[in-house]
Amino acid sequence: MNKEFYEEFNQPVYRQLLDNGLSLQVVPMTGYHKTYAIFTTDFGSIDNHFVPYDKREAIKVPDGIAHFLEHKMFEKADHDAFDLFGKLGADSNAFTSFTQTSYLFSTTSHVHESLDVLLDFVQDPYFTAETVKKEQGIIGQEIKMYDDDASWRLYLGILGNLYPHDPMHIDIAGTVDSISKITPEYLMETYKTFYQPSNMNLILAGNVDPNETLDWVVSNQSRRQFLPATQPERLFNLNDPTAHDVIPFRSLTMDVARPKVIVGLRGIEMPEDGHERLHYKLAIDLLLDVLFDDTSDNYLRLYNNEILDDSFAYNLEMQRDFYFAYFSSDTDQMERFADEVIAILESANQQIDAARTRFNGIKNAEIGRLIGLLDSPEAVANHYAGKLFDGANLMDEIRELRSIGLNDLYDVAKRFIVSQGISVFQIIPQHR
Amino acid sequence: MDYRLAKGVDLHIIPTKQFKMTHILIDFATPQTTTNATARNLLANLLETSTHLYPTQTALARQMAKLYGTFTSIGVGRIGQLHTVRLRSSFINDQLAQKELFTQIIELINQILFHPLIDDGEFDSPTFRLQVNNLASTITALYDDKQFYANQQLLKLYYADDSVMKIPSFGRKMDLNYCTPGSLVETYQQMINQDKVDIFVLGDVDPEKASAIIGRLPFKDREIELPQPPFYFQKSHENVVTRKEQQQVNQAKLDLGYHLPIYYRDPLYPAALVFNGLFGGTPYSKLFTNVREKAGLAYYASSRLAPFSGLINVQTGIQSADYQTASTMIQQQVDELQNGNFTAELMCEVQDALINQHYAGFDLANNILEHRLVNQLLSLPEQVDFAEQVKRVTRDDVMKVASMLKLQASYLLSGEK
Repeated sequence: MNKEFYEEFNQPVYRQLLDNGLSLQVVPMTGYHKTYAIFTTDFGSIDNHFVPYDKREAIKVPDGIAHFLEHKMFEKADHDAFDLFGKLGADSNAFTSFTQTSYLFSTTSHVHESLDVLLDFVQDPYFTAETVKKEQGIIGQEIKMYDDDASWRLYLGILGNLYPHDPMHIDIAGTVDSISKITPEYLMETYKTFYQPSNMNLILAGNVDPNETLDWVVSNQSRRQFLPATQPERLFNLNDPTAHDVIPFRSLTMDVARPKVIVGLRGIEMPEDGHERLHYKLAIDLLLDVLFDDTSDNYLRLYNNEILDDSFAYNLEMQRDFYFAYFSSDTDQMERFADEVIAILESANQQIDAARTRFNGIKNAEIGRLIGLLDSPEAVANHYAGKLFDGANLMDEIRELRSIGLNDLYDVAKRFIVSQGISVFQIIPQHR
Repeated sequence: MDYRLAKGVDLHIIPTKQFKMTHILIDFATPQTTTNATARNLLANLLETSTHLYPTQTALARQMAKLYGTFTSIGVGRIGQLHTVRLRSSFINDQLAQKELFTQIIELINQILFHPLIDDGEFDSPTFRLQVNNLASTITALYDDKQFYANQQLLKLYYADDSVMKIPSFGRKMDLNYCTPGSLVETYQQMINQDKVDIFVLGDVDPEKASAIIGRLPFKDREIELPQPPFYFQKSHENVVTRKEQQQVNQAKLDLGYHLPIYYRDPLYPAALVFNGLFGGTPYSKLFTNVREKAGLAYYASSRLAPFSGLINVQTGIQSADYQTASTMIQQQVDELQNGNFTAELMCEVQDALINQHYAGFDLANNILEHRLVNQLLSLPEQVDFAEQVKRVTRDDVMKVASMLKLQASYLLSGEK
């Protein structure tokens, strides 16, 4: 395998592209007991419009199909993959996001067998009308469960404002109605298109030997036939790339005790190059810290005036084809909170000017936080975002972060903070 | 390596090269009373907000940012009847920081614990007022997490009327009315001078050097006898307390509380762990496979063993209409386990999963610290034969545990009448 050694972290990373197109990475971590493996396809809930494998015409599949597929992959004709992990004493799980679906296990014994189970069940689709029907009931319950989750509703609410006509405004799990339209045929076409080895990556971290792992994976893959690799063709076009379709404000009434408000900021310009995207993303992370972290005067003022409290959170999410930031808090002063956040965003330049002395502290804190993630095999493996950031891993990210200066922040502020991308969503307590 | 810094103040250093971060945990323990939980949670919030040297949270946050963003915070918890205030700090190790970060962090902790923002016998009053409001809001907002809320209501039903356990470790909103900037100073004095203190350091440190630096913290001797064991005991009763509540929710939550008088490291404790794994503690469990998967009655269905307070609680998300069916079906799972109606294979899976979790726990700094703390407060030696003990559990042991289970409380949160 190709070895890269990250001297400052005393940490090697091994990489290999397999003949069938699967990308493999191994990160052995000294002293660890656990082996963590994550097998990811570059396919998520927003990829609902594409040309199926070996076909010419694009199709639209029902919303929620990626998540549905994730659930169904575990079930086989005569067994459930979950039970196979159970018999090996391994923990297993899976999750779906807007742009990826991942299957994972962690274990302290029987690594080879568990790895075979992981590869086998993800590469062996089995769907019947009957099992699809049963799953519709289970996932219907799951969707309803999230309906009662105020923080999830707040998050989906702002996404609905920021992307009212794009697939991001729909719950990753779909709707009760959309999943009722899923059929075994849809699942199989989707599977064949996006679960090709060349569209997937496998990462192992923790207690793991790189060469042995490579042998296991190669031997496993050689037992299986694969169709010729093709590049999946997605038809993803933002309804309005200039973000003039953003809904500035909506609210929802729920049975909650405290009002909740979220301000969203939709990014418009997306750097083409993966490495540039990483730089841009990290610079925005630092910008948001400068504007809003707990070392800022803004934060203290808003906190002392009870415009925000300890529930205040902000984050930047960047995925394939879209990115946005959000700022949320429980507060009795919802309008004031939104006004203040927007005013701070719009005066970013002055805020950066005033942050000269704080900048190094902020950057160090961000570096410290990322170094902390290096102590977790899960975090090390999950952090990898593939093509989005040009194959950068956590350590590449830390190196990139070190290279960012205060002056970079003026540039990203200008590119990111655009007024039509700003929106507000509130959850108002229902009077009982 | 253990050091005694003062009477009732013990330091435990666990050197390891496994982690890039160093972790410090300082635990203050005292028996919980009806009044101290709320006051101590408020105190934790006050202490982590500001100090004399760093009089605003911004000043304190800036100092932490300078120390590579050390994450230093104070929270509350409970182990049996003990109420604990815990300071946690994690920061990159001196080798990676390329400076003496450890010494500076201990100095920061010194400021936080020994130089709080107290003048003339009172906490700074604007800070105090704000933190009271914030804590009240935080407690109010717990209502908005329906799963958590339902479980809190179940526990309130489960615990006997005169029990301090009815009061959660984070306190009650109404008790905040009794807290004043002056009374909190008393709470502080009591904690800092009278609580049992255990300090843990985990990371790539030189024990002698680290203990010398931490030894500078001005802890005083104290006379404290924690109850041994500090478990919470409650007698079981025959009748089941039932409560139904309505809110605007789409999905109902049904939570149950069972009495199970088996405590941490009791002879039957490994069997109780295996029982819980079979009942609802793992994805292979009866609750998960029968109630959730096969019957499709619930989106989530799990059980949790509380080995310091002698109970097992069950949490499920169901349709209101299925209330009776679900209740009956949950009880059936207990009966099946009582009757030994489970395969040897399933039991072996649960045992393997427990052992896997145990070893995997050695990769999590916080998990290591939590274990050490529990053993320290319970005066127990480190457990070295966990895997063997779990492996030795027999079918009869599991059936015996199941037969000891006694339903005490049932709580339903639903959207319909």
